[in-house]
Amino acid sequence: MDLYFIVPILGALALLSAIASLLTRDNFYSALYMSLTMVFIAGIYAFYNLQPSVVLITLVFVGAVGVVTIAVAATYRAKSSRKLSLLPAFAIAIVVALIILRLPLEFRFEVLENGITFLGDYFIAVLFLVCMMILIMLSTIKILKEVGR
Amino acid sequence: MIELAIALVVIFVAYLMAISSRDAVRLLISLELMFAGVFLAILPLFASIPDTAFAILVVAIFTSGAELLILISAIIILDKLKKGIEIEKISTGGDVE
Repeated sequence: MDLYFIVPILGALALLSAIASLLTRDNFYSALYMSLTMVFIAGIYAFYNLQPSVVLITLVFVGAVGVVTIAVAATYRAKSSRKLSLLPAFAIAIVVALIILRLPLEFRFEVLENGITFLGDYFIAVLFLVCMMILIMLSTIKILKEVGR
Repeated sequence: MIELAIALVVIFVAYLMAISSRDAVRLLISLELMFAGVFLAILPLFASIPDTAFAILVVAIFTSGAELLILISAIIILDKLKKGIEIEKISTGGDVE
């Protein structure tokens, strides 16, 4: 049974939650809708059976980044008004529409999943990125301490 | 290729949110949404070069984590110095009147 219809459904849900994130006036709900978009995108990855990517997106992006963003948005829960600049938005919308019209939308690709070895080939790269994150954390703490003085 | 079209529209919505945001938290949310579009745009790469695509995905996820750290510290510093997180209070960079 061809289950490809799941991808457009998940994509439409991701788009709807992204638009809801844009339209809501409350930061908290905006962050919630943003996390929901991530979950739907992780769902598209799950459809293609890319398990390591699904785990990374769900755990790191939705689990850590999304939750921290929701926490910050809940702290600064300002119901600010928007000031939508229509001219640049209209120009970019035309460009995006032209690109989408040129895309072969009916083309379906087959995902190759052989050879994705998370701790094998990319261990050094992941180690480097973890070190980079720790360095950024330390410099952030240093900056915050200096501002607090 | 419907995934690429969805990715483009998500990035466009995030861009619209970034230019219409009035506080730094909404800016942070819009940047995270842009990363969501980027993740979806990486997906077709798994059809031809899966190893490289996975490496790009890992780098993108860690970059988004680093961006979150920097923006949260920027929000805290902005709140501490300017007593608010509104974009109008930032007087350096961009189109300042």
